[in-house]
Amino acid sequence: MSEQFIRVIDCDLEQPLTLADVAEIVGARPTLISHLVRVGVLETISDESEEPLLRTRSVLRLRRMARLRRDLGVNFAGAAVILDLVDRIERLNREIEEMHSRSS
Amino acid sequence: MATQTKDYYAELGVSRTSTDDQIKAAYRKLARKHHPDLNPGDKAAEERFKELQQAYDVLSNPETRKLYDQYGENWKVVQQTGQAPPPNWEGFRQQGPQQQSGGFDFSGFDFRGFRPGTTGEGFDIFEELFGRSGGTRQTGPHRGRDVEAELELSLEEAHTGGRRTLQLQSAETCPTCHGTGMVGEGQVCPTCGGQGQILKPKTIDVNIPAGMRDGSSVRLAGQGGAGLNGGPGGDLYLHIRLKPHPKFKVEGDDVEVEMALAPWEAVLGARIQVPTIDGRVEVNVPQGAQSGQRLRLRAQGLNKRKGGRGDEYVRLNIRVPKTVTAEEQRLYEELKRLSTFNPRAGSKAKGV
Repeated sequence: MSEQFIRVIDCDLEQPLTLADVAEIVGARPTLISHLVRVGVLETISDESEEPLLRTRSVLRLRRMARLRRDLGVNFAGAAVILDLVDRIERLNREIEEMHSRSS
Repeated sequence: MATQTKDYYAELGVSRTSTDDQIKAAYRKLARKHHPDLNPGDKAAEERFKELQQAYDVLSNPETRKLYDQYGENWKVVQQTGQAPPPNWEGFRQQGPQQQSGGFDFSGFDFRGFRPGTTGEGFDIFEELFGRSGGTRQTGPHRGRDVEAELELSLEEAHTGGRRTLQLQSAETCPTCHGTGMVGEGQVCPTCGGQGQILKPKTIDVNIPAGMRDGSSVRLAGQGGAGLNGGPGGDLYLHIRLKPHPKFKVEGDDVEVEMALAPWEAVLGARIQVPTIDGRVEVNVPQGAQSGQRLRLRAQGLNKRKGGRGDEYVRLNIRVPKTVTAEEQRLYEELKRLSTFNPRAGSKAKGV
């Protein structure tokens, strides 16, 4: 069994990326990313700079949306709603877990 | 455990005469229930979905469906060799979908990444959907896919950071067939069952930085899915989940702990021992402390990612004895007689 030491790269999911960066990372056309921003599926960071910026987190969200689109046949807007609801359920579940662990 | 023959039609709950649309509808319905992105952290759902995907991959393609109908589970041998397997041939066993994926299989924690397609490549879904040439995918180095996984940390681990050993399964090129899946003339490789890859356990030590929070992420470069044709490995993203702590409630960088007080401690003030994430400290409770009141212990909270610390809040909770001795009873009666305190004075609640 090989053993190796892996250095963790500080991964700030809030770090801003340009739309072109995001397109490059996920292998999509920049026009698609702009479209998703325009229709509100991806949220840009409100900032004084003129260029719209996305959080690094958007990359992971885009990948999840693409999987849902492929596997469930929903469109991006639908996938965005699904992910928001899943996040909300996860948050609530954790709150319930915490309440249980404190009361037990 | 022996590998059981899988009936892909049964997996999807459809009959052998189902139309393509019926198969698609059945798959979508089951995918809505078991999709890993809808059931984060649910290993059973993830396994079930992998099986569904495997079945759907075969049955949704008219060519592979035809082969499967004719040869059952050995259809792949026929596809790879162009020949029908000999009668009673049992040399080929369908491998789990993770062996096709070229990615990781995580045994130590939840696996949120997902195999994008049957090619075992990286994030090709966008290329498929948005018009990049499919032909270019098969040639040249191709970066492995990114994989996401959850890592549970105790609050103490998140606070101080430190080394954490992770066990994972990584897909490697099969040493017997060197990735072709075949040996000799038309023989399926016995080592990898024709997949061209085998799963090998791997241990990695990860240095978790101090100051991780629930929802923080760390990236392990090159530790995701294996690259194709000499391409670099994808990245492994570890999403941090904090285990609920029996004492501390986490609020951002701050923690809150509840401490019980006796009525006389609340009235007279007291010096009490309070747990912090680093150990116990003594805290002065001021006179006249109230239930629900919070005392702030500056810089006794969690280490922040970029230096500094949050605060600890001690939430006071005044408890009264359920039973009292005769002497205590007498003293409480005396207190009742002497005290002018009315806890309901100024209360707006009606009928109280």
